[in-house]
Amino acid sequence: MATPTSTSLAHTCTRCLRSRTPQLSRQLYLPAISNNRTFSVLHRPPPNYPGHVPLKLPERLFLAAGSAIISLIDPRRGDLIALLGETTAQPYFIYRLRDRMLKHPTGRRILRDRPRITSQSLSLPYLRSLPANTIGATYVSWLDREGVSPDTRSEVRYIDDAECAYVMQRYRECHDFYHAITGLPIVREGEIALKVFEYANTGLPMTGLSAFSTLTVKKDERDRLLSVYFPWAIRNGWKAESLLNVYWEEVLEKDVQEMRDQLGIEVPPDLRKTRAEIRKKRREDKGGKVNTVAATTTNEVVEEAMVETEAEREEREQREIERQAMEILERADRM
Amino acid sequence: MRRSLLHLPIKRSAWAIRTSNVARIAATRSFASEASPNPEIYDIVVVGGGPVGLTLAASLGAARATSHLKVALIEGMNLASIRDWKPTPDYFANRIVSLIPSTVKLLKETGVWKHIKQERVQSYDGMQVWDGMTDARVEFDWNKLLGGRQEGVDTTIAHMVENIHLSHGLLQRLEELAVKPTMIDKTKVEKIEYGQLTEEVDMRDWPIVTLSNGQKLGAKLLIGADGGSSPVRTFAGIESRGWDYNRHSMVATFKIEDDSAFPKFAYQRFLPSGPVAILPLPGNFANLAWSTTPEKVAHLKSLAPEDFVAMVNAAFRLSYTDIDYLHNLKSGVVEETKWRESVTKYPDPPTIPMRITEVLEGTRASFPLKMKHADRYIGERIALVGDAAHTIHPMAGQGLNAGVGDVYSLVKSIADGISHGQDIGSSFTLEPYQSERYLPNNALLGFVDKLHTLYGFESGPLVPLRSLGVEIINQDWFGLKKFLMSQAAKS
Ligand SMILES: Cc1cc2nc3c(=O)[nH]c(=O)nc-3n(C[C@H](O)[C@H](O)[C@H](O)COP(=O)(O)OP(=O)(O)OC[C@H]3O[C@@H](n4cnc5c(N)ncnc54)[C@H](O)[C@@H]3O)c2cc1C
Repeated sequence: MATPTSTSLAHTCTRCLRSRTPQLSRQLYLPAISNNRTFSVLHRPPPNYPGHVPLKLPERLFLAAGSAIISLIDPRRGDLIALLGETTAQPYFIYRLRDRMLKHPTGRRILRDRPRITSQSLSLPYLRSLPANTIGATYVSWLDREGVSPDTRSEVRYIDDAECAYVMQRYRECHDFYHAITGLPIVREGEIALKVFEYANTGLPMTGLSAFSTLTVKKDERDRLLSVYFPWAIRNGWKAESLLNVYWEEVLEKDVQEMRDQLGIEVPPDLRKTRAEIRKKRREDKGGKVNTVAATTTNEVVEEAMVETEAEREEREQREIERQAMEILERADRM
Repeated sequence: MRRSLLHLPIKRSAWAIRTSNVARIAATRSFASEASPNPEIYDIVVVGGGPVGLTLAASLGAARATSHLKVALIEGMNLASIRDWKPTPDYFANRIVSLIPSTVKLLKETGVWKHIKQERVQSYDGMQVWDGMTDARVEFDWNKLLGGRQEGVDTTIAHMVENIHLSHGLLQRLEELAVKPTMIDKTKVEKIEYGQLTEEVDMRDWPIVTLSNGQKLGAKLLIGADGGSSPVRTFAGIESRGWDYNRHSMVATFKIEDDSAFPKFAYQRFLPSGPVAILPLPGNFANLAWSTTPEKVAHLKSLAPEDFVAMVNAAFRLSYTDIDYLHNLKSGVVEETKWRESVTKYPDPPTIPMRITEVLEGTRASFPLKMKHADRYIGERIALVGDAAHTIHPMAGQGLNAGVGDVYSLVKSIADGISHGQDIGSSFTLEPYQSERYLPNNALLGFVDKLHTLYGFESGPLVPLRSLGVEIINQDWFGLKKFLMSQAAKS
């Protein structure tokens, strides 16, 4: 079941909307998207900005539904999550978000300047040289840990209004700053919590729909999300200043905590620490059991006894999900 | 009403009063209280020389049954500036009214319209009205509805005339009358009270008006055409109900880009803070009526001319979010709107008004807006007309038109009363006026008031609903649009 796609997908930052998915898998999942010629028989209006693909309503609905289903099955499909984000943000939500920026002096300035976050616009070596408590340093540490550069964001194509398309682009490009400011780690649980936070903060439907992927995490994680992180995310996302109104490029040297205070964001309970503690406790419990019941399945014991790193665990979970997704797709193919 | 019936004074016809005036005043002089001179007796005293008061005087003078009445008109302001008004072709005043065809018809019948300089009147037969939040639009265009301009069919929706021009024409008309009303201007009504019982005459039911120059006038019928805060209404103890919109209407006159390629339209865009309208004037001129909050009006007035012009252009092009934001800028509106217009999609003229190029100096002014309706239009020897009876939001341009409708009805009632030998101040005479006008005015006020409320919402369930309603009207399903347009013309 180890398909060629699984390795290439394995490094995709979970729902970070990176377009690192190779063409192969893209075609495998949703051929229509990469092959725009299928649509060109219809009278498509001229694009409103470079790269814009105007969609008709049925196309929009189809793409939204398709991308929603597949990205629920496989949350690693950053491209599809991006697509879901674009196809569901119109007509209402992205305009509302844009208006929220227009009402804010900084948000308005951002819309006027339309800054892009790239490895050209941000000097990563400089950010690495900043003190660890700064926003810039925290941000670059996310990038380094993930092994990505700011250039890997996919371009917005399906939002009709050029300015709103920029808002969507900006939202995407700033996502790693949201990690930095909330302190939520890039594990699935953290991503889901961050998405809910973003939903409360931006109102973009895709971020809210992502909450459904809570269904795909383990029960204890789900319980933790529902009892601790969702309430935090909703409360903070709602009351905090819109994150889109932060000119991140101008606050790189600012202390993270100071920025949080300014925006009105409380730090959520440390997810990494919680998870590590729980795992440790579980291992201790299991270890006890092994001693008393006497090892019948040695393999299992050895595997359990191994200290699984965060990244390894992520990887394992991810493979499992991909395997399931591929199975579903293959079954669908055979039908 | 019953009370006034019981307390009717000496029953005399209007003629009787007039013929006995001199003798009676001479006779009553000795009974007068020391401080005040005797009132001079008139059949009708009109308080207020605004457009409605002047129209009333002109109509009374023009109608055969009423032209003999002895009428006085009192106005607090100086009418000489209106009488001596000298128009210049490159300037239009900021206060403009739209007169609907039925108003113009009345002005023609009373011989006023011939004094109106047609080159300074701009008629229009199309209107563009749209929702600032959803862009839902109604296009009222007779020529489109009828499939092209048609011979002999008057498709005019309204005529735009400067207030001062209309008043000037009315004053000219008054000069022509055989029996001219006594015009008392620069004089305020200071006191109104009922008269006294004397040996000669029982004036206890007669309103006596004391003027700021000490003069006293007794009226068989006192008509309040004295505007929104009518002293006559207060005297009559008639309650006027309604509310302050907490909105002011900003007016100004502009030069616009050459619009000769397009038909002349009136434009109104409903913003949640109130509607903004551009109304056509002859040549490359146009007039603004922008209803919004007093703070925003103050801001508009404080802006440099070029920023103000940019602001008004933006009001018809940019989103409400932007307009709201622009209201915070003390300067730099030109710059800001240039950027916003470059990233905003908006239609071209004639769907929206031509671009404004210049605001005429000294034409920026504003007026507070109220919705008020008097409980009754008539009291003991008292009638109210125009804004004294009802004040309406100007978005529909109906205030003066309704006032002229009142005048028409009241003069008809007085004429009927005279022809039936009734006392012109009696409720028999006045009742038909009230019953003819009250309900239609009430409906109009209610409708406009509800529109104001409906379009005050920035979001919520009513926003899509109102747009749906507008779409239905615009499609002219069930002939709704034609019906509305013909009603508006009649009203
Ligand atoms: C911005 C704006 C735009 C408008 N646009 C239109 C339009 O397009 N079409 C339309 O039909 N209507 C319009 N109206 C409404 C219209 O202007 C009024 O309905 C109309 O002026 C009412 O006339 P009036 O004579 O009843 O009252 P007023 O014009 O208020 O006149 C009352 C007069 O009484 C005098 N007076 C008051 N008290 C005394 C006193 N104690 N002694 C002596 N004199 C006194 C005043 O000096 C005044 O001259 C608009 C109103 C506004 C504010």
